[in-house]
Amino acid sequence: MTSQLVRPLDQLSLGDEPGFGGKSANLGELLAAEVPVPPGFALSTAAFEAFVHEAGLSDRISRALSGLSVGNLDAIGRASQTIGEAMRRAPVPGSVRTEVAEQYAALGADDPPVAVRSSAVGEDSQDATFAGQQETYLWVRGAEHVCEAVRDCWVSLFSPPAISYRLRLGERAHTPAMGVTVQSMVDAEVSGVMFTCNPVSGDPSMVAINASWGLGLAVVGGEVTPDDYLVSKVTRELVREHVHTKDVQYVPDPSGHGAARVAVAPERQDVRCLDAPALERLVGVARKIERYFGCHQDIEWAVARDDPEGLFVVQTRPVTALAKKTETPKAESAMSLIMSTFGAGKPSDN
Amino acid sequence: MATTAPKAGAFPSPYEIETPPGCEGWEEMYPYYALFDERRREIDENRFWFWNSMHFPVPMPAFDVICIDSPYQAVGSWQNRVFAVPPAMGIDYRCVNGYIYISGNPVTDPAKIAERAEFFQKRAGYYFQNWAELYGKWRVKMEALIRELGELEVPDLPEYESDEVAFGDERNTAFYEVLNAYGRALRLSDLMWQHHFEFLLLGYGAYGTFVEFCKGHLPDIPDQHIAQMVAGIDVLLFRPDAELRRLARLAIETGVDSAFVQGRTPSEIDAELMQSDAGRAWLEELEKVKDPWFNMATGDGLYHYYGSWLDDPSIPYASLIGHISALQSGEQIDRPTEEIVRERDRLAEEYGGLLDEATRGSFNDLLNLSRTVFPYVEEHKFFCDYWFLTRWWNKIREFGALLARNDFLQDGEDVFHLSRYEVASALDELVLSWATGGVPLGPKHWPPIAARRKELLRKLNDWTPPPAIGVTPQAVTDPMTIMLWGVTTERVQEWARQVEGGTVLNGAAASPGVVEGTARVVKSAGQIGEVRDGEILVCGSTSPAWAPIFSKIKATVTDVGGVMSHAAIVAREYGLPAVVGTGRATGTIRTGQTIRVDGSEGTVTVLTVSEA
Repeated sequence: MTSQLVRPLDQLSLGDEPGFGGKSANLGELLAAEVPVPPGFALSTAAFEAFVHEAGLSDRISRALSGLSVGNLDAIGRASQTIGEAMRRAPVPGSVRTEVAEQYAALGADDPPVAVRSSAVGEDSQDATFAGQQETYLWVRGAEHVCEAVRDCWVSLFSPPAISYRLRLGERAHTPAMGVTVQSMVDAEVSGVMFTCNPVSGDPSMVAINASWGLGLAVVGGEVTPDDYLVSKVTRELVREHVHTKDVQYVPDPSGHGAARVAVAPERQDVRCLDAPALERLVGVARKIERYFGCHQDIEWAVARDDPEGLFVVQTRPVTALAKKTETPKAESAMSLIMSTFGAGKPSDN
Repeated sequence: MATTAPKAGAFPSPYEIETPPGCEGWEEMYPYYALFDERRREIDENRFWFWNSMHFPVPMPAFDVICIDSPYQAVGSWQNRVFAVPPAMGIDYRCVNGYIYISGNPVTDPAKIAERAEFFQKRAGYYFQNWAELYGKWRVKMEALIRELGELEVPDLPEYESDEVAFGDERNTAFYEVLNAYGRALRLSDLMWQHHFEFLLLGYGAYGTFVEFCKGHLPDIPDQHIAQMVAGIDVLLFRPDAELRRLARLAIETGVDSAFVQGRTPSEIDAELMQSDAGRAWLEELEKVKDPWFNMATGDGLYHYYGSWLDDPSIPYASLIGHISALQSGEQIDRPTEEIVRERDRLAEEYGGLLDEATRGSFNDLLNLSRTVFPYVEEHKFFCDYWFLTRWWNKIREFGALLARNDFLQDGEDVFHLSRYEVASALDELVLSWATGGVPLGPKHWPPIAARRKELLRKLNDWTPPPAIGVTPQAVTDPMTIMLWGVTTERVQEWARQVEGGTVLNGAAASPGVVEGTARVVKSAGQIGEVRDGEILVCGSTSPAWAPIFSKIKATVTDVGGVMSHAAIVAREYGLPAVVGTGRATGTIRTGQTIRVDGSEGTVTVLTVSEA
């Protein structure tokens, strides 16, 4: 009998998106596609709802949100704080705790480090960036800390940007919901993001890769200018590359909990952080994921420190806003296109 | 690094360019209409002219001006008067200090453009629909023309005419035959140029449309992949080298390969081969290959001194030596044609598969049409620029020899320092004085003229022409200028930025890859021998006929050229990084400097200022 609250990632598929959020459901699909994904588990929106219900937070949340208007940032900030404080005081339900502890234990002995991320549901998942639902807690260790991080993700549903976003959509009355993804942490030597097309030019034959040293936070958060590679899907050749100065990186905190932002050794700052075989592996994975989902994907990945050939995908989602060149030639007959070359096309082409 | 913003007047006025010291009077080598004349100043000064260094990288000898006049007569006829390309008539040229600047004549009246569009659609459409048949006829025409050139005799002037002239039905005397032969030689050249351009615009246009279509829908696609999808497999231009590879294998099979020692001259090799039966048999096989495959030019054909492999066998012999030593060390030297076909079809399928269905339809149609026109795009060079033209220069040399035998010239080769009208004039006086028995003035008249012009050309060679002169255009719209020379609005703006000098040159990324190395600036085919292993070739434009050095060099930089230029296509075939259309690489870079060529970004950086 599968749980409605917590479930291993490899038991999820796209159909579970409404219950577990897009991130968790996509990771389940990736595992089915045999893409290397760190093992983990997911919490459903039901877990969040159980939390709100058992702690009796429902009314308090509704009250805090009532009467807010889009532009009133001070009021939104106060409401966010009120709700956040109330949520942090409330305990995570025992049923959720038990299942989290069980699944966490299955990930390994000695409190293995995990990443805890929000997994947005429904329309929010398309605009998760705007909705402020991109909370990520890295290098979390111990079942108790995992539960705390889960609760922090839930709190992020009521961050000022998230409240503002829903106000703009006119969803004031609707109580939001959210899933959470918990995944084994890869101690990344290099990590980054890749698109299965060139997001700048719109070229569908390219994989665009951004990469920097350490955990993915620095690239995702825009804290470094990452190395920039453009690789042909068709021939796997490197079409363009820009190696930038990567001065900071995130590494596991020496305390054993969380990630620390540290300076990159000067001699490594200007070093190209991916070699040809690594690029080749990334492009192979990108194509596999793109084919599987049938649309362009925005993929977060990491290369393990203890295994340079170990490439892991930690997240994928559809590319939503793709830059399109406005002057893309229309699909016309070959002859009329040639006529246009000579200025002999239809009047509108001249 | 030059960062000056482009501005009006970035380029010098053609009327303000100074004559280099000692070059006064250079104008005498060129037709009156080829000069920036005060009587046309108002018009000419307000036009944009760019240096056609792709075709004319060095100062023009007087006779070679025919290779400017005829092509522009021919291309304009087809473009403007036959196909009526709607927005563009023909191309005007002018000469400055011996260098050739060109400028297109646009059509701006919308009514006129619409009128021309009707002609164009009908006539160009007919050519595209019947391409294979028309091109088949074209090859027959060209082969007949080349045969006729071969049969054209340049008669000598006898002491007494033969009995045949006296008693036979053919009563033409030598004076007529000489003048007639010269006239026919010129007419055959006109015909060749007419044929040369019959398919050129349409062929390049179809291919160019495919290139643009790919770049519109696949903005980051490397040019090389586009070329690979279209490239011919059984291309005539690859035949000469294929024949050399076959001869290399034959040499090994018949045990005569030991004659091919690095450093030996062709005649030394031939001498050794002549000493054995197997060697003589090999030489017989070579003779069979020579016609037509040794009609490859050693340069791009538009100057008289670009001969063929027949004139200078050192290039094919160097290839033979290379192929033989590669075979001896067990290397595979054949073009992997099956692999090339597989890869070409795989690329087309993969790229097509990335496009939506409607777009894929246009993509496939354009690809098929490009493949249809491509044999012409590749092969016209062999027929016209190489085979015909190298033989035609030799025909003109025969007239030079006739003039030299009669002391009108010191050396037959000096014929190229007279204009074609002056040669006609010299021949006129020669046959006149032969007929009358009088004392000709020619021997006192022509030799000093030729000597003076040789000196002028030598000095003009040191002058560096600006990439453009006249008015900076707001936008380059002429489809021919863009298609054939790669001169786009961006390119002109880059030139304008570079006018004040700089150490970074920008051009078109023609073949991907980044290398650093020593520059070798080659301004003429005669300098090819100076190129050393591992150097970066810097030239006006590369020529596919320079095949042997492509295996030596590690990158190419040219002054002018676009993705359409044959040179760019061949650079990709050899997998060398190439930046084309830099505007002034040969004027900026010096032999011996270390440069970085980024064929992916289209930049050339001068890293050191030291000179060899």
